[in-house]
Amino acid sequence: MSHWFENAIERGEQLTLSAQRTASLELLKNTPWPTRKTEAWKYTPLKAVQGFNATASEVLAAEQIEGLQAIDVVPGSELPTELPAGLTMQWLAADDVDASLFQQVKPNRHLFGLVNDVLAENVLQIRVAAGTEVATPIRIVQQLTAGSETHVRVLVEIEEKASLTVIEQFAGSEQSLNTLFAEYRIADDAKLEHYRLALQTEQAMSLGGSHFQLFDRSQLNSNVVGFGSDVSRIDMDVRHSGQHAFAKLNAIYLLDGKELFDLHSTIEHEMPNGTTEENIRGIAAGSARAVFNGRIHIHRDAQKTLAELNNRNLLLSNKAEINTKPELEIYADDVRCAHGATIAETDKTALYYLQSRGIGKEEAQIMLNFAFINELVDDMPNQAIAEWLRPQLRQRFAKMGE
Amino acid sequence: MLKINNLQASVEEKQILKGLNLEINPGEVHAIMGPNGAGKSTLGNVLSGRDGYEVNEGSAELDGADLFDLEPEERAHAGLFLAFQYPVEIPGVSNLEFLKAAIEAHAKANDIEPPSSAELLKQAKEACKAVDLPLAFLKRGVNEGFSGGEKKRNEILQMMLLKPKLAILDETDSGLDIDALQVVAKGVNSMRAADRSLIVVTHYQRLLDYIKPDFVHVLADGKIVKSGGPELAHELEAQGYAWLENGEKAGENA
Ligand SMILES: Nc1ncnc2c1ncn2[C@@H]1O[C@H](COP(=O)(O)OP(=O)(O)OP(=O)(O)O)[C@@H](O)[C@H]1O
Ligand SMILES: [Mg+2]
Repeated sequence: MSHWFENAIERGEQLTLSAQRTASLELLKNTPWPTRKTEAWKYTPLKAVQGFNATASEVLAAEQIEGLQAIDVVPGSELPTELPAGLTMQWLAADDVDASLFQQVKPNRHLFGLVNDVLAENVLQIRVAAGTEVATPIRIVQQLTAGSETHVRVLVEIEEKASLTVIEQFAGSEQSLNTLFAEYRIADDAKLEHYRLALQTEQAMSLGGSHFQLFDRSQLNSNVVGFGSDVSRIDMDVRHSGQHAFAKLNAIYLLDGKELFDLHSTIEHEMPNGTTEENIRGIAAGSARAVFNGRIHIHRDAQKTLAELNNRNLLLSNKAEINTKPELEIYADDVRCAHGATIAETDKTALYYLQSRGIGKEEAQIMLNFAFINELVDDMPNQAIAEWLRPQLRQRFAKMGE
Repeated sequence: MLKINNLQASVEEKQILKGLNLEINPGEVHAIMGPNGAGKSTLGNVLSGRDGYEVNEGSAELDGADLFDLEPEERAHAGLFLAFQYPVEIPGVSNLEFLKAAIEAHAKANDIEPPSSAELLKQAKEACKAVDLPLAFLKRGVNEGFSGGEKKRNEILQMMLLKPKLAILDETDSGLDIDALQVVAKGVNSMRAADRSLIVVTHYQRLLDYIKPDFVHVLADGKIVKSGGPELAHELEAQGYAWLENGEKAGENA
């Protein structure tokens, strides 16, 4: 049993919770602490969580993203008062969470989802009124500091024909524990551009997820970046609850040392004519470990679904490890589905082209390895974020395997 | 400048070059023409050191240096440049980053100070202008999504920045519209110099109206089977290569 877990339940029992959250507490009490045999945590040991003792719950803002004009939200801090028309934001009190919104999106919650249900001390609600295109991105940002334990919940509702950009950004390397679950309801013809920048490293533990529910003709463009730490786990879930919705999911991870990064994604195609494009690319060096579990579930009614999932990995050391597991469940007959996980191989022709221009083989190889990741950075719609990330990734990559 | 002697080379155990001889002096422009599959691109690949192309016999020297002793990047440092018939797309590496890496590698190998980032950017922009490529192409992935003609112009741009001693242009004219052909030819001509030689591989005499060769060679079945002056290109344009089969020589009937 886990010391931390028992303590978390005790803390939950002392809170005044809404009916929804009380139900989660009951569920949590009946959930066993994961072991190596627990499928969802098989490759992600939770020892570091088990022994964690919180000494603070303060949240600090992380550094700015140069060139990005964003509305910054730091959990626990005052919200900005001046907001663009059609955009509303508020912190909800622990016992005052709107049950019709809370947990509506997220289909199934793992242990830390339940923990977050119960312990989220900061629940942020964001609404974009129908037809409103919010040009300024919202950046929910957390610097994880020594000894801190924080649980944050974000509930976003983008109404019909509205659009929004949200960045969930994490930083910090000191021993800490954080969960952040964000739920997005993207109504008919609405659009979300989304970034989850899980840039915490070393002893900063973060578990959480971004969960999206898509309705008719809605569009999602989501980009994940992970560096890995003692425990870093993200669940990206997309539910196609409307027709002709489009979801694009790109994720990059760059792991070194003993870092761990675990990405689970579940795509539920419940309705016909939906599209999902998922591209996951990672590089692992040292004795780092990446876990990718990509599930696509095409329900019986989801005819004419187009779903592609591609996971490519590059291992820079023979002690680094990638555990990738594709899961495809198709119950409709008229669908196009591709699902692949491979170890990335060097493009010989590209290598020769670079060499023929005088670039040494080793340098050319490094350029191509970085390009493998950088392609997905190039693909980010927000230039400021891409340009801010690129040198950091480059620097991190340059140090890998040293 | 370049001396190729009895070059025999094979790909996947199949012999493609069957005893090729060619000598190029500084400042000369040589055109190589010949039927599809004759081995023209193979010659460029073998000289630049592409993987999978095996030299079985013969030698190639660039200014006295044995090319086959060198790695592909060392051949580039020695002054060899190949403009690819099919330039390679490298998504994720920006064109500018690529040019910078190439120029810096050349500088390092030749023990000279590399240009500053600002100077390099200036040169790259000028080269863009010279080949009529918008500056945005410097930021894009190398050849990524470029049209056929844009890729060819990007090859010439690279040549202008790397200033090779010997450049092999493999069908740089194919896929170019008429205006682009003039742009590319102008770019190439601006590079002509007493200490720089060119091999222009082409199927069409038209390019040679713009880039005037000193010699024209016919490469067929892995060998140079005929050499002449610029007039040979006109003859080939008129007669094609059927004469090769009969063992006749172009020009004999003319
Ligand atoms: N990598 C390869 N693998 C197999 N065969 C090859 C390879 N490269 C060249 N060849 C073969 O070698 C022969 C010569 O090809 P090459 O590309 O040199 O011709 P070319 O003269 O450049 O023709 P074109 O005018 O069509 O460009 C062809 O028969 C071709 O199929
Ligand atoms: Mg060819």
